[in-house]
Amino acid sequence: MKIPALLRPTTLFLTLLLAACSTIAPYDQEAYKTATGLKVDALVVMSSATESYSSHRAEVARFRIALDKAYEYDRNRPLNEITIKLWDKLRNPDGDLLGGFLREWQEEGALRPKYVAHKKTQIAEGFDTLIQLESGKIKPAEAARQL
Amino acid sequence: MANIDWKDIEKQTAILAKTILKGFADQAVADARDFQKKAQAHLAEWLTDLAHGDISQKNFESLVRGERDLAEMRALKQAGLSKIALDTFTAGFIEIVLHAALAALP
Repeated sequence: MKIPALLRPTTLFLTLLLAACSTIAPYDQEAYKTATGLKVDALVVMSSATESYSSHRAEVARFRIALDKAYEYDRNRPLNEITIKLWDKLRNPDGDLLGGFLREWQEEGALRPKYVAHKKTQIAEGFDTLIQLESGKIKPAEAARQL
Repeated sequence: MANIDWKDIEKQTAILAKTILKGFADQAVADARDFQKKAQAHLAEWLTDLAHGDISQKNFESLVRGERDLAEMRALKQAGLSKIALDTFTAGFIEIVLHAALAALP
């Protein structure tokens, strides 16, 4: 009987060895999809910041929950500290990216259109940085191919 | 005892290191250059908007601080990519050694 490649002792040994040697979490399709979706949502929500915060309160609240869920998902992945640090930077309400922008909008009301446009560019880049790291991670299929 | 071809392992490991680690270094340099170029262009644009009164002094300062936050995010991303490069190298090295060991079996 032919043993499937994935069950061969050398393959199993190598799989375990590679897992033990990993220094960063492998690629996660769910995390990638969530981050790209949140980028789009963030830019849509931010576009409303030229209007009063109170008229978009519910929309922002929903977005914040989605953001928190994505953070929690990534926080519970092993060897994922760098991605968590990236989320922390992006979400920090005392910083000057997404978290800071939402706080500013909430505290100051409608923001200037040019400022909103520049912040959108900046925050899109922040999301891209996070997404690029996720997409650069080793995909399980690639790891299996190496065997 | 199995006769493992250590010379070949050495040769293949050198090629692997050159491919993976040099590729990573080149990418990191290109990324840093790209960031610098973008940051310069952004700064010029914000200064123009500030001069025209399209953004406030406070807005300008937040944009500059945001750029610093982005630079930190880029540095974190590079740290992550270097770990990925290291993991890829380790996996490749293990594969080279294991194949050489299996090939040497009688």
